[in-house]
Formats: sequence, C-alpha cells, structure tokens
Amino acid sequence: MAAGLRTVILLSFVLAVGFLLIILSCALWQNWLPLLVALTFVLAPLPNALFSHCGGDELSSGYEGSAPVDLGRFITAIFVVTGFSLPIVLAHSHVIDAKACAMSIAGGGLVYATILAYSAAFKQEESDYD
Amino acid sequence: MALPRSNYDPRRVCLNPFPEFTLGKHRRTLGVYLAGALFALANWTFMDAAILSAHAKAPYGAPPDEGPPVHVTFVDWVPGICSLLGYLVINLIDKDRIRGDEGFGDSRAVWRARLFLFIGFALMAGGLAGSVTVLVLKYILNGYPEQFTYYGYANVSQSVALMLSVIVLWLSQNTSSEYEYNLTL
Repeated sequence: MAAGLRTVILLSFVLAVGFLLIILSCALWQNWLPLLVALTFVLAPLPNALFSHCGGDELSSGYEGSAPVDLGRFITAIFVVTGFSLPIVLAHSHVIDAKACAMSIAGGGLVYATILAYSAAFKQEESDYD
Repeated sequence: MALPRSNYDPRRVCLNPFPEFTLGKHRRTLGVYLAGALFALANWTFMDAAILSAHAKAPYGAPPDEGPPVHVTFVDWVPGICSLLGYLVINLIDKDRIRGDEGFGDSRAVWRARLFLFIGFALMAGGLAGSVTVLVLKYILNGYPEQFTYYGYANVSQSVALMLSVIVLWLSQNTSSEYEYNLTL
C-alpha cells in the first residue's frame, strides 16, 4: 500500500510538472495557443476508455477485436499525433516560439505518460483481486 | 517419427511473407494505432502547409511589400478531400464480403462490395494523382522557390501517407483470423 501511495504521489508530481511546462510555454511568450496541447492530451485516453466497453467480454476480446474498439484506438492515435504535431506546425509557421514548442511537447508527453501509467497501475491492482 | 514439420518444411517459405508472429496477438492493436498515427500525420502535413501559407512572407530578395507569389488555395485541398472520401469508402466495406467464399446472402453482394472497394481505391489513387498534378502544374512548372514548392510536396506526402494508413489498417484488420492469411482480394 505504501508503494501505491508513493506511486500516486510521484505521478501527481509528474502531472503537475507537465502542466507547469505547458502553462509556462504559453505564459512566457504571451501566446496561449499551446494550451490546446494540454487539452488534446487530456482528451486522448477518452476514446479508448469509452469504446473499450463495446468490445465484448474478456474471453473473446483478446483475439477477435471488434470495430468500436478499433475505432477508439484509431481516434486515440489521432489525438496523440495531433498533440505532438500541433506545436511543431505552429512553430514552423512562427506562430509560437520554437522553445515554447519544445516545452509544450515535453509537458504534453509528461501529462500523457502520467495518464497511461496511472491507468496501467490501477489495472494491475484490480486484476490482483480476481 | 513424428517430426515437427512446420518448422523447417521448405514449402512454408513463401506462406507468410509478413512477420506477424513476432508481435503476437497485439498485432491488430499495433496496426490500428499505427494507422491512426499515419492518418493524423498525413493531415497534419497538409495543415502545416496551409498554416504556413497563411502566415507566409515574401521570399528573400523580393521587395517586402508585395506578398508571397502563391498561396494554398482550394485546388490544393481537392486531392486531400478525394483521398479522405476514398478512405471512408474503403473502411466502410465489410471485409468478409470481399472474400465472398462464405456464401452470405446472394452472390451479387460480393460483386457490389468489390465495386465499392474499387471506387474507394480509385478515389485514393485519384487523390494521389491529383496531388502530383497540383505539385507539377501549380508549383514546379511555375518555378517558385523551394519555400513554396513545399506546399506541393506536403500535398503529395499527405496522399501517400493516407494510402499507407489504409494499407496498414487493412492488413491489421484482415489478418485477425488466426492462421489463414489470404490477402488476395
């Protein structure tokens, strides 16, 4: 339980650092467009979470994927690539600064990694009870 | 003399040209993720060109008060729209209908499914051809500097990446039946 508590504290710290990087990348250059990256990465796990309940029971879901699950994964991949490519595109056309681009990408990656690690940790804890 | 035939049977050489067993059952998942990533990458490549064109300045050496010589206009969007329509059409087809060996319903369903598949692939190929046409006719033949021919190259790479995405999605969804990999349409 102590390890779980430590994991939660570490993950929340990483999440805070990620949001700090994104907000700094907006505030330092007075240009709040990189905040869209945070929105994208927060929305990214949502399609998987929604469509994973459409996939049938546990026996068949490992082998024969269903179309809604595939759609959820497809949309998730679109969101993740959007989150990484949006600041690059904006920096390419000099809408935002190159350093702001790097900072928002790093922050977004941290936020998304936090979400992934959190869901993975909780999934393992749930399967221990079964 | 029960030998494990399947490991070294020379007839098995050409059966599985794709390394599908290395990824195991996550192959379908990885393929779908990769297809989505390619899809987003394709569209962002073109959006990059469009946004860049909207913020473009005059090239070096030109008088700064006159604008850039060329912009991304609706002509550039048409091949991408064709490719996206083809993408939709290809992915809306039930894959089992194409194979047509199960005898679902009537045999004309297979014919119609193949017709729609052909229309989808024709739309995608038309998008690719149209993007190359736009690149050559609008950008290369007019001799714009490299800063502006990038718009045309982005258009071509959008179409190519959309085609790759369709291929990856098709392969990863078609090969979920366990041991039989017939990619012959």
